Amino acid sequence: MIQYIVRRLLVNVAVLWVVASLVFFATDALPGDYAIRQVSSQLEAETDYEEAIRAARKELGLDKPVWERYLLFLGDLVTLDFGTSFESDKSTWSELGQRLPTTLELGSMIVFVAFATSIPIGVISAIKQNTWIDYVLRCFAIFGVAAPVFVTALVLTFIVLRFDLWTIDIIGDPHLWSDPGGALRLYAIAAVAGGVSAGAGIMRILRSQMLEVMRNDYIRTAFAKGLNPRDVWIRHALKNAMLPVLTAMGFTIAGIVGGQIILENMYNIDGVGRYLFNRLTERDLPPFQGTVVLIASVVVTVNLCVDLTYAWLDPRIRYS
Amino acid sequence: MARAEQSTTALAGEQFGFGNVERPSLARRLAAIARRNKLGAISFVLAALVLFIGAFSPFLQRYEEERQFQTANPEFNPTASPMEIARNPNLSTPFVLNRFEGVSWDHWLGTDQLGRDIYSRLVVGARLAIIIGIGASLVSVASGTATGLISGYFGGKTDFVLQRVVDGVQAFPGLVLLLLLVQVVEKPSLTLTVAVLGFLGWAASTRIMRSAVLGVSSSGYVEAARSTGATNLRLMTRHILPNVFATMIIIFSISIGLYILAEAGLSFLGLGPADQTTWGKMVNSGRNLIDTHPEESLLSGAAITFAVLVFNLAGDALRDELDPRLRGR
Repeated sequence: MIQYIVRRLLVNVAVLWVVASLVFFATDALPGDYAIRQVSSQLEAETDYEEAIRAARKELGLDKPVWERYLLFLGDLVTLDFGTSFESDKSTWSELGQRLPTTLELGSMIVFVAFATSIPIGVISAIKQNTWIDYVLRCFAIFGVAAPVFVTALVLTFIVLRFDLWTIDIIGDPHLWSDPGGALRLYAIAAVAGGVSAGAGIMRILRSQMLEVMRNDYIRTAFAKGLNPRDVWIRHALKNAMLPVLTAMGFTIAGIVGGQIILENMYNIDGVGRYLFNRLTERDLPPFQGTVVLIASVVVTVNLCVDLTYAWLDPRIRYS
Repeated sequence: MARAEQSTTALAGEQFGFGNVERPSLARRLAAIARRNKLGAISFVLAALVLFIGAFSPFLQRYEEERQFQTANPEFNPTASPMEIARNPNLSTPFVLNRFEGVSWDHWLGTDQLGRDIYSRLVVGARLAIIIGIGASLVSVASGTATGLISGYFGGKTDFVLQRVVDGVQAFPGLVLLLLLVQVVEKPSLTLTVAVLGFLGWAASTRIMRSAVLGVSSSGYVEAARSTGATNLRLMTRHILPNVFATMIIIFSISIGLYILAEAGLSFLGLGPADQTTWGKMVNSGRNLIDTHPEESLLSGAAITFAVLVFNLAGDALRDELDPRLRGR
């Protein structure tokens, strides 16, 4: 077991190196850089535009050859330095630390909606297989998978505005800890839209897994010995149907840390996703690269945890 | 009813390479499938309809999608003095845009904020969605099969390295990778968008193809062929590839909807293929008017949802027929 974990951790380091290289060379291929933006945004008429850009590049360290910057970048990552923003001159750590609470605020609401809808719906749909309840719930899931998250969000926004249910404040920056009411009014739509999108996929997997598990002999035995049906469904069936669902949940939770680029942009929420998007369009690359590597390391860690949880849920699984 | 479904699904089935089966048995087989899986049959018909609209959009779209409809301005006064124009700016423009027109015979679904015909734009959007969905699926299946075959067949170090690259791409937040790669040129072209989406799907299809190849590689007929002295290339192309063909078709068909969805997200964020009218861009352009003129956003949003829905359902139905074990992947 320990050996397995150590080996997986080593493999994860290799994977993160792939991610770091991919993000570095892809960002290096982008047209334009921060030096050009910086010089063009200065209003005073430059005597020599080219010279000014060259000076700015030198100051930002962008004049060094690619391989040197690549090695510096990897060296920084090894020492857990995830870059410093060109724009604000602050470290990626502090920039993210400022935005992570917001992202987790929205993210935890999305996860809550996703699980609160998908697990009961998946179970009920499987128990009531081929009844009208099942059909209605499956329809909901199929639509949830097919509708883009921004369309669901727009439809919800439209309903809220058209029927004057409440006003949405996208200018201010309401948070649960400062203005709970305002935050809920703003985040509710994004949370429901994101939660339905994430939950619909989980629900479909859970339903087909439940149906698979319910066919087993031990379920029939459990019913036959007179157990409360609810106990059979929850303790015997659901627990064993959760394995593949866990993988999907792992992806959902890992995705939360990366922020919701689309939803955060739509509702002007200053979280990690929007930060990432803006850093990229501003060509403020060090925090972008650092954030991507950080998110990827969360993803691989969550995946490792999911695999370890497998062993706990299904004792037959042994690692070698 | 059964007869109608039979003929249409027969048409749809032929696209997926069933055409070489003898005709009567094919028709009977498809009719049986359609009877058993009604939802699948209906979704195949609807997916064929979307394909038809996309393929024939130049004939169906009625107007140029970028054309801005105008009418003569009754208030226009060419001789108005600057003072009068300052008081009433309407005097200076000879034409006004037909913005936000309602439903009429001229504009079946009305016009948008720039006076463009929404119906025409939706039809063109179908064409783009299909090019992107099918194109990206082809790219990802072709590249994923190539690397999956190499990875699964040779195993060992090759396999280890390739799989770590796959892990790396999959650990990358998907939308971020998309946003990053489409920006490597100033204005992302349609080809680039398709290639980037296909690359994103490459990781998942490599993984699935690899496990399919692993399953086939250990079977007796591959061993038998190897013992007769067949080369690696011959074993891979003649003995393994034909036997993982069903998996290739399944990956192709179930991922079309995913790519349409991903491209819609890109377009919504303003990074879709340049100079093209896509549904995602339409949703985005109408979203600030969602409370007053929601038509454009809601209609194009419904179009995305519908297209993704029917392609997903048709793909699921095909998968259940070809290889039910892949369910839930």
